[in-house]
Amino acid sequence: MITKPINLIIKKEIKIALREKLILAMGVIITLLLGVALYAGYISFKQQHNIIHETQAQKRQEWLNQGDKHPHIAAHYGTFVFKPKTVLSLFDFGLDAYTGTSVYLEAHYQHEFMFRPAQEHSSIIRFGELSSALVLQILVPLLIIFLAFASYTNERESGTLKLLLSQGISFQMLTWGKVLAFCMMLFAILLPYVIGLTILSGMQSQQGTTPHVMLRVLLIILFYGFYLFLFIAFSVWVSLRATNGRNALLTLITCWMFFTILLPKTVSNFSESLYTLPSMREFKAGIEDEKTNGTDGKTPRSVRVAKLKEEYLKKYNVDSVQQLPINFEGVSMQYGEEYANQIYDKHMQALRSIFHKQNQISSITSLLNPYIAVQHLSMALSGTDMYTFNHFEDKVESYRRELIRKMNNDMAENSVYGEFYGYKAGSDLWEEIDDFSYQTPTVDKILVSYPYEITSLILWTIIVIALLNFTNKKMKPLYG
Amino acid sequence: MLEAKNLTKKFGSFTALNELNLSVKRGDIFCLLGANGAGKSTTINLFLNFINPSSGSAFIDGKDVTKEQTHTKKLLSYIPENLMLYPNLTGLENLDFFCGLGGKVYDKDRLEELLQTSGLQKEFIHKRVHKYSKGMRQKVGIALARAREASVLLLDEPTSGLDPKASNEFSELLLEMKEKGVATLMATHDLFRAKDTGTHIGIMKQGVLINQFSTDEVTFQDLEKMYLQHMHN
Repeated sequence: MITKPINLIIKKEIKIALREKLILAMGVIITLLLGVALYAGYISFKQQHNIIHETQAQKRQEWLNQGDKHPHIAAHYGTFVFKPKTVLSLFDFGLDAYTGTSVYLEAHYQHEFMFRPAQEHSSIIRFGELSSALVLQILVPLLIIFLAFASYTNERESGTLKLLLSQGISFQMLTWGKVLAFCMMLFAILLPYVIGLTILSGMQSQQGTTPHVMLRVLLIILFYGFYLFLFIAFSVWVSLRATNGRNALLTLITCWMFFTILLPKTVSNFSESLYTLPSMREFKAGIEDEKTNGTDGKTPRSVRVAKLKEEYLKKYNVDSVQQLPINFEGVSMQYGEEYANQIYDKHMQALRSIFHKQNQISSITSLLNPYIAVQHLSMALSGTDMYTFNHFEDKVESYRRELIRKMNNDMAENSVYGEFYGYKAGSDLWEEIDDFSYQTPTVDKILVSYPYEITSLILWTIIVIALLNFTNKKMKPLYG
Repeated sequence: MLEAKNLTKKFGSFTALNELNLSVKRGDIFCLLGANGAGKSTTINLFLNFINPSSGSAFIDGKDVTKEQTHTKKLLSYIPENLMLYPNLTGLENLDFFCGLGGKVYDKDRLEELLQTSGLQKEFIHKRVHKYSKGMRQKVGIALARAREASVLLLDEPTSGLDPKASNEFSELLLEMKEKGVATLMATHDLFRAKDTGTHIGIMKQGVLINQFSTDEVTFQDLEKMYLQHMHN
């Protein structure tokens, strides 16, 4: 038999909540929203995964079956690579809508990612698609507020608080009884969703793009557990301090708006204005300018190639490029490629540095706002964040460089100077290029990028627990 | 059992209770009389440790209520003017819950018996409290006090708004508890009930206990005269 006072309080809170039907209504709403989000996320993941898988295979066949041609023409014929959908993108779409799904790889150019879902949607997408993460980050806290805002004010206004405390129980016990009761109710509501997510993620985990899927699911549950606990504990604390239910609700709704809408938007605008990104046109023009005039602005391509030619003639002790044992055109192509890569890397690094600074501001702000913390961690664990995208971009660029290098080297080794259309490579060369495959960074590598966010959730949990305990000790059922 | 020593409570510059000294022994029913704002409820709230005293101390069973509230709360039972219970729980569930908080666990039959012998009609025992009248809720409060086997009873105008029959039943239960040695401190406006049920009476005015005496020492007429005289002065 349950006899401990805290257990009695938990039991009483749950019994009353069930009889008031509010929790049932909320449970149905949350379950429906999460169910729809999970189903839609899964369908979207499956469809996109299948499309990407099929198209990638088709493009691979096109590459292998392109026929005999000059390697440099093959380098321009190029191929496509596709960003594989991570399993947990069914939970949190993250930046997938903005980063694009495929990129065309060819010599000399780093093309932009294409087919960004956000381009095909109206501006409504700015409010976010209905993902499970969105429901858990924004809507569930709102429902927690409606459930818990009157937890103390009702007791105070109805007079049951005095009767409760006259039985010899402390505020400490009463508060934690209420907090634990809300935690249990929420757990019961979210349990079917958690089971569904675990099963669906487990079913897809063998696809290999995302390592340690189950560990990620566990960490997602843990971080969201911290986050939702914060809302429960904070709502009970506000109710404990408030003079009436109306004030408690107003305070909590204001906090919710501030933390989930105003602060993230303000931080985003602030970081953008502080560290402004160049336009795509400016970015590309900067690269083209250096390619044309050299990194020092006074060494055009003709001068650079002439210098290279001189070095090769000297190295092989010959008078003309025709006498070289290798095709100087291939060497020159690869030299040009590597020079352009250096320029691209420099500009890309500068661009990433701006992104990094913007993200850094957002990350630091997460210390003040657990919503930002859980948003970042959720995307990171789902493999839909900026760090994972940059990791993918780097892998794609390495793949492109390797492809072009092999084409240029083949040209240098097997063709003759000046006979551009005379030499044709075949499927043996095309097969030397492995099919593109990608795996997201491991959990430990990803989490290292989010120290502020992890600290934020832990710190806020400690603060809210301390706040509750401190207030419990100071509280009296009557003011005065 | 209950003792106040120079007990004072100030709300800002307003003195709600000024240097109260009183003592309630086992089997005593001490009735505090006085107009609204005289300091009766403040006294009860101080004994309950619901507010902090500005100076002085309140003791239950020789223990300071602010320092050893775990002990003192175990000994007492409290019935306010308007006992509020959880409307979505039945009378029996409310009783079970509050008994449990005080460490008393009874089976369903015993809880039903407690409610019935406290005057609650049988057909209401398993009905949700939102269907109860004020008198019915007070009876659950009495059942709770009995179930807790409290040795101290703090009552804040418990019969206010009750019909005469319910008030009478309440008085009978108070006397029953008196026989068991329960010390009762009751704030009330009801002079008749105070004289009829109480063993001691204290008259309060503007936070001061201006007179206290045994109910045996006065007739009802004397009490009424004395009370009105104090109120008019």
